[in-house]
Amino acid sequence: MADANSSSGFGGGYMDLSTLDRIQRVQGVLAVSPGVYDTAKPGSASVVSMGVPDFIANFDPNWNRYSPLKLSLAGGRWVGDASRLEVDLGSSIAAEFHVRVGDTIALPVRPSDAQPGFVNHRFTVVGILKPTLTAPDSGAYVSLHDAQMIEGDSLPTALRGQVDPYQLITGAVVYAQPGVNLDSLATRINSAVPTVEATKPSTLVNAFKSGGAVFTVMTTAAALLALVIGGLSVVNTMLMSVSERVREIGLKKAIGARTHHILREFLAEAALIGLIGGVAGYLLGLVLTTLLNGSNPSGGLFLVTPGLTALAIGFAVALGAVAGLLPAIRAARMDPVRALRAQ
Amino acid sequence: MPTLRLEGLTKHYVRASQVVRALDAVTLEIEQGEFAAVVGRSGSGKTTMLDCAGLLMRPTAGRVLLDGVDTGRLGERERAELRSRRIGFIFQEFNLLPTLSAMENVLLPLRYSGADHRAGRRRAEVLLEEMGLAERMGHRPAELSGGQQQRVAIARSLIGEPTLVLGDEPMGEVDTETAEMLLSLMRRINRESRVTFLIVTHDLDLAARADRIIHLRDGRLDADQRVERPGTRAGVAALAAVG
Repeated sequence: MADANSSSGFGGGYMDLSTLDRIQRVQGVLAVSPGVYDTAKPGSASVVSMGVPDFIANFDPNWNRYSPLKLSLAGGRWVGDASRLEVDLGSSIAAEFHVRVGDTIALPVRPSDAQPGFVNHRFTVVGILKPTLTAPDSGAYVSLHDAQMIEGDSLPTALRGQVDPYQLITGAVVYAQPGVNLDSLATRINSAVPTVEATKPSTLVNAFKSGGAVFTVMTTAAALLALVIGGLSVVNTMLMSVSERVREIGLKKAIGARTHHILREFLAEAALIGLIGGVAGYLLGLVLTTLLNGSNPSGGLFLVTPGLTALAIGFAVALGAVAGLLPAIRAARMDPVRALRAQ
Repeated sequence: MPTLRLEGLTKHYVRASQVVRALDAVTLEIEQGEFAAVVGRSGSGKTTMLDCAGLLMRPTAGRVLLDGVDTGRLGERERAELRSRRIGFIFQEFNLLPTLSAMENVLLPLRYSGADHRAGRRRAEVLLEEMGLAERMGHRPAELSGGQQQRVAIARSLIGEPTLVLGDEPMGEVDTETAEMLLSLMRRINRESRVTFLIVTHDLDLAARADRIIHLRDGRLDADQRVERPGTRAGVAALAAVG
C-alpha cells in the first residue's frame, strides 16, 4: 500500500456524511475518510503569514495507513474515535501555546474581537506530534465527533439547531488503489457523485508550483538587487582607490611594473574586498539562520551546507573580481608620466 | 660604449592647438660612471629629457640608446623590463608607498623584475645600512624625516643594480644641509660602484658638484661642460660661465 495516494478536497462547503458511501463505490477508490477542517484561530485569516495557519481537523486513522507521509507522536497517544475533548497537537502549535501532554487548550482560540455567539471548548492535550516541517505541524487533531462539534459551533447562529452538525463534514480524503491515475479518479468521482467536487492532485501540484514560482521570483529579485548593489559598491571602491593612488601606479610603472602586474594587483585587491564582504555576509547569514532555526520549534528551516558556504564565498570573490575589472583596466592603462605628476 | 646616448631627441606637444617644442634635437652622450647634472630654467625641457631617457615617454623624433640598445624599437613590455633592470629613478617627492616599510619600499622594484627575493632582501639590508638607515628598516615613510625618506628612495633606485640612475630634482624637497648630505651619498655610490647618475636640478651649487653640467634652454642643448674639480670654486665658475 506504500504507493497509495490521497486525493483530498476541502472546498469550504459542507457535505453529508452519507456521501462517503457513494464515493467509496467509485472504481479505483481504496478508502474514503471524512474530513472536518476548521481554523484554530478564527479572525486571524487576514494576517499575512508565510506558514500554514493553525487548523483543527479530525484525526484520520487512514492517514498513517495509506499516506506516504507518516505522522508519529513525540509523546502521548493518539486520539480515538471515541475521544471527547482530547487533542493531539502538531509541534508548532504546541510550541506556540506552550502546552505539553496533560495540559489543556481552549479550541478554537478566542479572537480578541470575538463575536457574541463565539463558543470554544477546553481540550486536554493527549499527544504531541513529531515535527514534519509541513502542514501537520500546525494542526490540532481531535476526534471526528469533536471536529463536527466545533464546526457546528462555528455555524451562523441562525442555522444552529436547524442542521445536525454530526451529519456534516467539510470534505473527504480519498485514498486510491495502487496504480490508479489520480486525475482520472477525480474525474470519475465528479461524474459519479455530482454533489461533490474532487480536486485533481495535478491542480494542487500546479498551485503549489506557481506559489513556489512567486517565492523563487522574490528571492531571485532580492539576490539580484544584492548583486547589483554589492557589485557597484566594489566598482565604486575600486575606482576611488585607483584615483587616489594614481601616483602609486605611476611609480610602479616607472620602476618596471607592466600592465599585467598592475591589472593583477588591483584585481586581487577587488577579489579580497569580495572575500572580506563574502565572509562577513556569510557569518551574518549564519548567525541569522541559527537564530531563526532556534526560534522555530519544529526545527531547522534553513540549512547551511559546506557546498552552500563555498558557493556563497566563491561567488562573492568572483563578484569582487568582476566588479574590479574595469577599475583595474583603467589603472593598468595609465600613462606613467602623467600618473607620476598627478596631484 | 656610453651608458646613455640621445640622438636628435625631439619632443613636441600640442597644447591648446599650439605646438610646444619641449625638446628640440638634443644630442649628447653620458659615459659609464659619470655624474651629470642637468640644469635650466623651468620649461627648458629638463624633465622631458629625463622622461625620454628613462623610457617613460617616447620622443617625437630622435633616438634613445641605453647601453647601445636603440630603445625606440622596443615594445612597451621590453621597455618596462629595461626600466626594471637598467634604470633607477629618484623623484623629488620621494614617491614611497605609505603602507610599506622602508625595507618593503626598497624591495618593490624586485616584485616586477622577477629577481630572487632572498638575495634581494640581503642587498636591500646592505643598501639601507649604507644609507645609515639600519635602525629604520621596519619604519613606514610617515615615521621618517624627509632626508631619510629620500635615502630610502635612493636605496630603492639601486636595488635592481642599474647602470643608470635618473634623479628628477631629488634634493628639491629637503633643506640645504640634507641636500648636501644626499648629494654626497649619491656621489659616493657613483664613485664606489661606477653607477651613472643623471640628475636634474635647479640648484646651481649642487650642480657644481657634478662631473658635468648639461644646460638646456628652450628645449635645446645650450651648453655641456665638464667640471674639472667638482664642488670647488672652479666648478662654480664653470657653471657661472654656462649660466
